[in-house]
Amino acid sequence: MDTHKPPPIQRDWVAKSVAGTLLGFGLALSVSGLFVRLNPDMALSVKGQLAMWMLAPVWLGTLTGSYFFSSGLRAWLWLGGTNLLLAGALVVLSPASGG
Amino acid sequence: MLRTDFIRIYKSVHTWTGILSGLALFIAFYAGALTVFKEPLARWVAPPAQEVPYVPLTDAAQLIVEALRADPAAAREFTIHLREAEHLPARMEWQIRPPGGDDHDESGIRHFVAGMDASGTVQVTETQPSRVAAFIDTLHRVVGLPVDNDPNRWVMGLIAALYTLALVSGVIVLLPSLVKDFFALRIGRNLKRMWLDAHNIVGIISLPFHLVMALTAVVFAYHDGFYGVQDALIHGGKWSSAFERQRPPPGAAPARDPATMLPPLELAARARALSPGFEPGMLQYQQITGPRPVVRVWGKDAAAVSPRARGGFAALDPYSGKLLGSDFLPGRQSTPNLVISSFFALHMAAFGGTLVHWLYFLLGLAGAWLFYSGNLLWIETRRRKAPRQGGEIPVQRRDTRLLAAGTVGVCLGCMSGISLTLVGGKWLYGHVGDLDAWHWGLYYSVFFASIAWALWRGAGRASVELPWIAAALTLALPLTTLLAWSLPSLGLWGHTSPATLGVDATALVGALALAWMARISARRRREAAADSVWAA
Repeated sequence: MDTHKPPPIQRDWVAKSVAGTLLGFGLALSVSGLFVRLNPDMALSVKGQLAMWMLAPVWLGTLTGSYFFSSGLRAWLWLGGTNLLLAGALVVLSPASGG
Repeated sequence: MLRTDFIRIYKSVHTWTGILSGLALFIAFYAGALTVFKEPLARWVAPPAQEVPYVPLTDAAQLIVEALRADPAAAREFTIHLREAEHLPARMEWQIRPPGGDDHDESGIRHFVAGMDASGTVQVTETQPSRVAAFIDTLHRVVGLPVDNDPNRWVMGLIAALYTLALVSGVIVLLPSLVKDFFALRIGRNLKRMWLDAHNIVGIISLPFHLVMALTAVVFAYHDGFYGVQDALIHGGKWSSAFERQRPPPGAAPARDPATMLPPLELAARARALSPGFEPGMLQYQQITGPRPVVRVWGKDAAAVSPRARGGFAALDPYSGKLLGSDFLPGRQSTPNLVISSFFALHMAAFGGTLVHWLYFLLGLAGAWLFYSGNLLWIETRRRKAPRQGGEIPVQRRDTRLLAAGTVGVCLGCMSGISLTLVGGKWLYGHVGDLDAWHWGLYYSVFFASIAWALWRGAGRASVELPWIAAALTLALPLTTLLAWSLPSLGLWGHTSPATLGVDATALVGALALAWMARISARRRREAAADSVWAA
């Protein structure tokens, strides 16, 4: 049993805010991109609008949540890692032409 | 279990995002609550129509043909109104937009209406419809800035993003004590506790409303940029080219004779047949002599979600009556389209009819109060208290004095300015050349004068004086209507439709509420502690 007191949370306002803003937007783009790739049969006009509408909640949700990271470094590592993962999935799912 | 560390961090987030966005949001919400009733406001201020008599609907087809002969430029786009209201000056109306203007900027548009005399001769008149309701909507859309253009919308989007942060962080701070504190409105000696309880209750009860407003506002500010980035990175350029493909090929337009179009009543009947609850209100004709003529039959359906603030439409071919699209027809949308429409409808109260309008009006006012009370709590937290055993009264911090004065000045200045600019629409009509500029000038002079007054007099005195001014200016709305009825020689007017009387009645209630606030502020000044910014 691990009973020792957890280390204090670092404030790291700038690092967390920038990570949440930039990487949160990247995350939102990847999520919307996956939505587009996974719904090939939906009409572009509808799909494109839904993809646009999901940017703001994912982006700002991530930004708001980023202050839960115990330090700015962790925020960058976790959000950066998730970005790479999702961007990778997006590349794999993209048409071979690279479009 | 949330660690207290997190609570402290999110309390900082809530405090600073709230203080940065609060005053802009007050304006957005007060003006937004009024924008729910944009049409009644436009009807209230509209001068009585005298220029062109309403053409009977049965003659509207002939009116279109004659009017297009008189002004062929109208063929690009014009409107036939199926109903009659104070702010709709004639059966047929069209606008000429200046080239290169912003889509959302309505300031350069020229308006024309067409009527017919008994012999069937068409009269085309240029009109200057009051844009005061649109001006209030603009204040709402760009948080009190004067023009709805890209840079101002980006400012609004930043405010909306801060607002989202403030909302979520506020909920996180409240979560651990939510069960204990929720609905615990502790009225009593501890005024700060009472204001905090009230702030939390209003915030939690209207949380879904606020989340919708915050996220949709961010999208309204940045959708062009969002689409652009997604087109480049996700759609591979297909998004923008899809719209280019819709443009007609040049030079291949067949000759169309507007006289062979179906009459407006027939087109309205066809749209009504598509969806039983759909009540058409106007017909928007587009490119009727071009290769893709279309008429949008706009209307409302109280039992369905409307995709836009003014309702939804069925797109018909005006010559054959064939349905071209029902993507925007309330009650007949596909599920994905309904989801997209609901984002707009939830922001603009475009569902559920009058009851929902009033609910949104009250939620909007409650939202404005939420930001006002947030600033008050910020000030109260930083109050310097006098020692209990008596002694010297401490000087309050400069930043709390400034924020107190600024909060009173901005909030009351916005309310006074909107009331005055509405009243000015009646008193100045026909007496000044550019009424739009006057609406603008009246609002901003009162707005800035109130801020200057509050800074000069101090928050305490201004918190009594400015509500009295706002009450008087708001009372001027129903008084103007009464004066118009009792002294017709003044040249004023007072409409009697339920919508416009509703404006008068609401303004009367608003004026009474402001007078009540002025009275309780005065009482608090007499009784309150001397160690407060409100004693100044």
